[in-house]
Amino acid sequence: MVSVKDLTFSYRRRSVFRGLDLQLHPGHIYGLLGRNGTGKSTLLRNIAGFLFPRNGTIDVMGFEPGRRQPAFLQQTFLLPEELYLPPVSVSRWIKNNAAFYPNFSMEQFRAYMTGFDIPAEGSMQELSYGQQKKLLISFALAVNTPLLLMDEPTNGLDILSKSQFRKVIAGAVDEKKCILISTHQVKDLENLIDRILVIEEGRILFNQDMETISKKLTFSLSFDPTATADALYCESSLKGNALVLPNTDGEDSRPDLEMLYKAIILEGEKINKLFNA
Amino acid sequence: MNQTFDLSRWLRLVGAHWTENRKRYLLALLAMGGMLIAWYAFLLSIDKFGPLNLFLQYTAYYCGLYIIGCFYASTIFSQLGNKSQAIPYLAIPASHLEKLLCGILFGVVLFFLAYTCIFYIVDIPMVSMANKIIAREHQYWPKTMLPIGSVEVLNLWNNKWAPIPDKQYHLIFLGYFAIQSAFLLGSVYFVRWSFIKTIVAILLFWLVLVFFMIKGLSAHMPEGWHYDSMLDWTNFSGQQLNTRFIRLPALLEKLLLLSAQYCVAPAFWLITYFRLKEKEV
Repeated sequence: MVSVKDLTFSYRRRSVFRGLDLQLHPGHIYGLLGRNGTGKSTLLRNIAGFLFPRNGTIDVMGFEPGRRQPAFLQQTFLLPEELYLPPVSVSRWIKNNAAFYPNFSMEQFRAYMTGFDIPAEGSMQELSYGQQKKLLISFALAVNTPLLLMDEPTNGLDILSKSQFRKVIAGAVDEKKCILISTHQVKDLENLIDRILVIEEGRILFNQDMETISKKLTFSLSFDPTATADALYCESSLKGNALVLPNTDGEDSRPDLEMLYKAIILEGEKINKLFNA
Repeated sequence: MNQTFDLSRWLRLVGAHWTENRKRYLLALLAMGGMLIAWYAFLLSIDKFGPLNLFLQYTAYYCGLYIIGCFYASTIFSQLGNKSQAIPYLAIPASHLEKLLCGILFGVVLFFLAYTCIFYIVDIPMVSMANKIIAREHQYWPKTMLPIGSVEVLNLWNNKWAPIPDKQYHLIFLGYFAIQSAFLLGSVYFVRWSFIKTIVAILLFWLVLVFFMIKGLSAHMPEGWHYDSMLDWTNFSGQQLNTRFIRLPALLEKLLLLSAQYCVAPAFWLITYFRLKEKEV
């Protein structure tokens, strides 16, 4: 569905990507993680056609995103981190925008709005930041584009809304859709994504599905010095040492995304060695 | 589905633009009308002899058109300078041509029609009021028996007070569209303060052009030759009998004039189209 080959991108003097390769397939929810300034949003905007590669190619469902053809824009939706909603009523805004998306479902939109507990009438300027975000998430899901890109979608959402967000996203994906979520709030993606991408120093440092991760790694808390010595990554806490260990017993364990992310960033070589073995 | 232009998609875009901006536009029209009324009221209060003559109407119309029209054009694509607004705008599933044509429809066509309507809505009753003042206060110019006569309503296309270039070629009228189109391009090209930056860019261009005419062209003319206008040159040695003229061929002259009249604005629109296509956010 999305094929990024040898992508090079820079902002004037600052280089962001150097030869980045990435493939995204339908039927998956990808979590894109990385430190601040590593290019998560830049990658999303390259895929959505708002930034153009300086070198390399991006192919999205047979389209070159940078041309921003209407047929491409009808099949790709980017939920940006920074919101803008014009000073009109919710119903008027929906009427204006939904007409551009042939697969928009009003029924779904209403269901998402009800789920998020947002008023479907009144001016959009009267909504709080969190409500505006939920409104846009509802719209982004209701347009039913095969490719949905979300940049920090859980920023500004309260705890209950985050839980509702995970619920609706999990229910929205099907074998024809691909969702890519960029976030630095790793915990928000737990039990939601089925593949994790970590971006670092202009390339994809880690790209694995959750099943493989749970087969290859275990996550535990321990005071045992032997276990600590064997750990790929260790972090001390009051409850004991939080460890990321190679899964030698073959038992499936639930990956702790935050620990995994730290292990990848700080001990990337060890982790990649284990996965490439 | 046509990827360059589709009428129904464009009409949807126009409809969406109108519903999102109508309050702002209607308020702006009211403000324009209010400013014109205030200006005319001021003129009526200070001049009881020949208030609102054709020259005053002419300058009021064109000053307003140039200043407000150019300012408005510089805001047409201003959302592209703001990341939070630019992404939703560029993400609308419509082509760049459709987005540009929507901008031209509102910024050029509808603005001009609305401005002209507002002008006449204010101008006609105010001119009538001026005539009543003339009839009531002074029928003759001071210390003469010359009748003041009634004031006419400005006729944009046939105005005896207009400067010669406007009378002959409508250059002031058509020049508005050319200059306004530069501001339209500026609204895509400059991320911030596009109105001011476009004014600076136009002034710089003008300076370079004047410098080229004075230093570049004149310096390379043969002895005694100088240009009268862009289209003809004279050699004047001091004796009228020896004066010689060179003019461009009539066809070329006509083509150059037609280009100056009708091609500048479309050329800027074309550049705006490509700039819109190249826009990154």
